[in-house]
Amino acid sequence: MAEMWINMGPQHPMTHGLWNLRVKVDGETIVDAEPEVGYLHRGIEKLCEGRTYPQIIPIADRLCYGSSMTWSHAYCLTVEDLMGVEVPERAEYIRVMTIEMQRIASHLMWLAAYAGDLGLSVGFTYTMRDREVFVDLLQGLTGSRLTYNYPRIGGVAHDLPPDFGRDAIRATRYMEKRLKEYEDLFEGSKIFMMRNVDVGVLSKEDAINLGVTGPSLRASGVDYDLRKDMPYSVYPEMDFRVATHSDCDCYARYRVRMDEMWESCRIIRQAIEKMPKGRWRVVAPRNAPVGTGVGRVEDPRGEAVMYVVGDGTDRPYRLKIRSPIFVTVSAAPKILVGYKLADVVAIMGGLDMCIGENDR
Amino acid sequence: MSEGGNAGRVTGASIERAPSKVGDDSEFRVLRTLAERFPRTVSEGTQVRPGLLRATVERSDLFGVCRVLRDELGFEHLSMISAVDYEDRFEVVYHITSYQHRLFLELITATPKDDPSVDSISSVWGGANWQEREAYDLMGVVFRSDPKLERILLPKDVLYHPLRKDFRG
Repeated sequence: MAEMWINMGPQHPMTHGLWNLRVKVDGETIVDAEPEVGYLHRGIEKLCEGRTYPQIIPIADRLCYGSSMTWSHAYCLTVEDLMGVEVPERAEYIRVMTIEMQRIASHLMWLAAYAGDLGLSVGFTYTMRDREVFVDLLQGLTGSRLTYNYPRIGGVAHDLPPDFGRDAIRATRYMEKRLKEYEDLFEGSKIFMMRNVDVGVLSKEDAINLGVTGPSLRASGVDYDLRKDMPYSVYPEMDFRVATHSDCDCYARYRVRMDEMWESCRIIRQAIEKMPKGRWRVVAPRNAPVGTGVGRVEDPRGEAVMYVVGDGTDRPYRLKIRSPIFVTVSAAPKILVGYKLADVVAIMGGLDMCIGENDR
Repeated sequence: MSEGGNAGRVTGASIERAPSKVGDDSEFRVLRTLAERFPRTVSEGTQVRPGLLRATVERSDLFGVCRVLRDELGFEHLSMISAVDYEDRFEVVYHITSYQHRLFLELITATPKDDPSVDSISSVWGGANWQEREAYDLMGVVFRSDPKLERILLPKDVLYHPLRKDFRG
């Protein structure tokens, strides 16, 4: 049969944002694929060169609307490394708590989108409803629902409101009940399992070589999580396990994210219980020294790295952002080839694309 | 700026408790091996903080150093490629991760303004390809023998490299 190229995107229900996946098909089978990105390129790295260091925090929020807390945290971590600022311990615990809430909210949004992709409308509504629990908590803390602008260079913007810990612990208990329900709902669905198991296999060697990180890497059997292996903040104080899976397929990626949500619930509770009293912010210098700083965190989508060059002024000379999904999606051709066209939705959905951070 | 925190417990200290399987020895083994194998082109590396190393390499030996890093020293993963435009040179900074030794290496190479080009390392780490394309697109650094060196974020008919300091929109 004649081979032909098909454009899936930039306007396609599969894409969840503006990007284009060109697939070359032979009948129904994919023989080649080529992602095209850049539709949402806002020039954030250039934009940051004209802003002062604190002004960049809200821009870092807008890298990914799904996990903005993680990105502003990564940015603050990087600038603190450059400036040599030590963060008060209470602020570190608050940060860990908020970014784990963000991880759950991000994974739930992924799960909702994924369920919608695979035709489980019930899964979409349930997960989006329960995501509101954590979005509401973060709204109570920061005043915003999506882009929080909460971490600061040298701490966090303000202390927790009264009874926040109680509400957060209650939310994690609620979430754990719901997670059990989701597992029954998704894994009891024949359609969901048929579209996931043994679809989109990415071998361990390929995953490492192609730079895939985060849940997709751990689903390929690599036990590597920055929170555990190169810990930052107060993660060494936390008792949690790294979710891994050895099946390397879409089901493994789903499973790893589900397990991470369980672990995030545990981390949130530990952070609240161990949280010391005290200051939540120190004053950071206005100007950064001449030098470089690097910060890396485990984003919900993988390894987020930032590299900042300071030149002695109050603005960064250069800020480079490594988006985990940018590298992961470059591995898409390797995962897609050999599967049917109908599997594209499951495979690309399972990678958890976020175009905001992909294009920057 | 170390006034914050509760008495006796500074958060920076907790980073030192990274669970290293090999111990601190592997960090110095990496730096020593690089210095022995490439005595003329690799600078004496430094340990910035536990787990983070820094070394500079001349661009003629970049590819060889990367091969040694992956094949002999256990650096399986290329995290990030950043290009920086300084007044007298471009710098290409490679952040490379070792999963097995829990190490993070910052490898810096410089390239002159009138010939901004380095060897492509896409054949060493497949994940480098898109990051090289991005550095080429936004900064105009050419990666020699890259399998597909095209613009990636900007449209293909754009004539400038916007992250350069002399770019005026």
